[in-house]
Amino acid sequence: MFFSDKENSASRNFIVTAVFWLVIGMTLGLTGAIEFTAPDLSTGVPWLTFSRIRPAHVNTVAFGWLSMANIGIVLYIVPTLTRSKLFNEKLANFVCLVWNLAIFGGILCLVNGYSEGREYAEFPVPIDVMVLTGLLTLSYVVYMTAITRTVKKLYVSLWYILGTFFWMPLVYFIGNRTFVRLEGLNDGIVNWFYGHNILGMWFTTLGVGIAYYMIPKLSGRPLWSHSLSMLGFWTIAFFYAPTGTHHILQSPVPEWLKALAVVFSVALVIPVITVLTNFFMTMKGNWWQLANNLPLRFVLTGAFFYFITCIQGPFQATRSINWYLHFTQWVVGHAHVALLGTFTFFDFGAIYYILPRILNRQFYSVGLARAHYWLTLIGFLIFFSSMTIGGLVQSAGWHAGIPVNQWGIEMVPYWILRAMGGSLMWFGNVLFLLNVIQTMRAVKPLDSPDVEPAMAPAKS
Amino acid sequence: MNKNYLLPGIVVLLSFSMIIFSTVLLPNFIFKPAPSEFAVKYTPLEAKGRKIYLREGCVYCHSQFVRPQDRDFGPLVMAGDYVYETPNVLGTIRTGPDLSNEGGKHPDAWHIAHFKNPRTTTPGSVMPPFVYLKDEEMKALVAYVQSLGKKRIVKYNRIYHPDELEKVLEKRKVNVDSSAAANAGRGIFQQNCATCHGTHGLGNGPNAIAIAKKPANFSRPFFKDYDDVTWFWRITEGVPGTRMPQWGKLLTEEQRWYLVAFLKTLPRENEVYPKAYETLDPERWNEQQKISAAELNSQKPAMIIETKGPPPGAGGGH
Repeated sequence: MFFSDKENSASRNFIVTAVFWLVIGMTLGLTGAIEFTAPDLSTGVPWLTFSRIRPAHVNTVAFGWLSMANIGIVLYIVPTLTRSKLFNEKLANFVCLVWNLAIFGGILCLVNGYSEGREYAEFPVPIDVMVLTGLLTLSYVVYMTAITRTVKKLYVSLWYILGTFFWMPLVYFIGNRTFVRLEGLNDGIVNWFYGHNILGMWFTTLGVGIAYYMIPKLSGRPLWSHSLSMLGFWTIAFFYAPTGTHHILQSPVPEWLKALAVVFSVALVIPVITVLTNFFMTMKGNWWQLANNLPLRFVLTGAFFYFITCIQGPFQATRSINWYLHFTQWVVGHAHVALLGTFTFFDFGAIYYILPRILNRQFYSVGLARAHYWLTLIGFLIFFSSMTIGGLVQSAGWHAGIPVNQWGIEMVPYWILRAMGGSLMWFGNVLFLLNVIQTMRAVKPLDSPDVEPAMAPAKS
Repeated sequence: MNKNYLLPGIVVLLSFSMIIFSTVLLPNFIFKPAPSEFAVKYTPLEAKGRKIYLREGCVYCHSQFVRPQDRDFGPLVMAGDYVYETPNVLGTIRTGPDLSNEGGKHPDAWHIAHFKNPRTTTPGSVMPPFVYLKDEEMKALVAYVQSLGKKRIVKYNRIYHPDELEKVLEKRKVNVDSSAAANAGRGIFQQNCATCHGTHGLGNGPNAIAIAKKPANFSRPFFKDYDDVTWFWRITEGVPGTRMPQWGKLLTEEQRWYLVAFLKTLPRENEVYPKAYETLDPERWNEQQKISAAELNSQKPAMIIETKGPPPGAGGGH
């Protein structure tokens, strides 16, 4: 399976294994959420303790699910947009194998306490080396595919993808430099340069690139403005990188660095507005398509969540609002609306569209897919609201100077709501896994291809 | 590659290296704070504890920097405090309290009990229990936590705990065994404490109905084991996880000692009446009272109260 030379086999392998990691990562996250409502659940079991589950959850969904799904989709999009074969299918397949082993080993390390202790960079050195090698190899494959392309003009998605594969290995290298010992706050500064850019220069740029491909493709309408999309690309490339310090805005790091972070964070409104204007203007007059186009519905729901997260983001980074909201569960809600609400929804839409085309086989069940959409959406809305409101309760507690333990009990309803929303999402994604497995096993589809034309291969 | 893409390529390269330079390299060149008075150079034991802190992921719920607007975490931190900290444990979320000034706030035994089951020391906490830590790991972790902030908070003299016993006792000017002090304390108790703890300290004040964690019933046996300093510390620091405030911020030291004097006189449950009372016959009250007067005085209950037991759901308040 992992040594195949078949066209698009690497893309398929990445996507299918990513869906497995998605369910594992969500199980870990749900376990953590339940432990908030029943803290004594993990008594005496080290690997079940929340503080070990949390990094395992974050790394599984970030590097196992989201990164691998993004890569899988990119490995489909790049050859399609360049009208050429992937430069080296075998190499990409090999990376998929290495990446899976790295995530598997990484999770085992984290739940057993072998952690580097830096947020988003917890994986121990051998895992870091594996992931970095994988990234560099993928960069090589993607760039060689782009160089040997047959279509001269680069579509905007390719700009995003090529840009990402240029800077991501560098960002990952800086973030995981275990051999350079930096003192205290400097370590924090570099840690958050990486911690923020893994979101900004990896998930965002790949996710937006995928959405730029999916929305015109699924709606059958041309992109509204190419020049606006280029403006969005250049501003995101320039504005995103220096914003990391806003995660430690009130620690005693240099003021000029904080000022830089705040200014560039607020400037991020520009790429966000251009990207979303482009998406929504492309959809102008076509919103009726959402009724019977599930992948498009996924992608556009993601776009709406992108609007929420990216309006929250720049404002949270300003000093006065950070002063109130930092350190609370509001931030947890914000992080999830970006990675789960936005980019995961983009990837769901893309997978429902791409997998039938790679396998040349219709998706097993439309009903399961619709259940997946609604369960994930409703579960996520419950999750997001509970974390946002709970965060405001916490903020009020900090603001009034009440010791944390005295208002801690007020958070209980929000912990319970979060676990409930999480259960819904978990169930929805188990259905998704089931759907993907049945499609892979080539079980006869339950519905006719006309029900959801986007989830069936093109008639040729 | 097509020449049309050469210029954009160079621009990407330049802008990105500029960003890397300004946000990653520049701070490391020009931001080099000198170690401050509170920068902790870890002993081997503390360093081992710090590794356990990282391993167990404490940083995911506990931050280690005090912000200007934080009112309850002691003095502000300075850049020089972090010189010996690698990797950083600044943290980005406070599900639990900030720990920058944790050193010296609680006795070691409190920390061990807290790690083993957080609910015993802070009711309502969502911290996971770390019972699986080995004894030497626990010792190292406690040593690390006690090293945080180099007891900055003790230095600023805002906190008392049993380890600082002599210091607290030296400053004491109130004779807590005198009935005059107890009488003074009674007034303070009725003004400040009775709304929750009840006028007789049974934990049945009018507010007790509305409080999730019920106020303490002082007639419970374990309160009879409290010595003066424990009483004083408990009043000063309040009870985390409950509505019991930190009276250290509201009452003077003298007032708190008067309270201690009063609280010590509260009788134990089911022993409210001296033994002699059991043989009392209400009809011959006056006669018998004369006989048992000496015995009554020797046991000196502060007041005679009804023993209906604690109100339903009354908490221990430990």
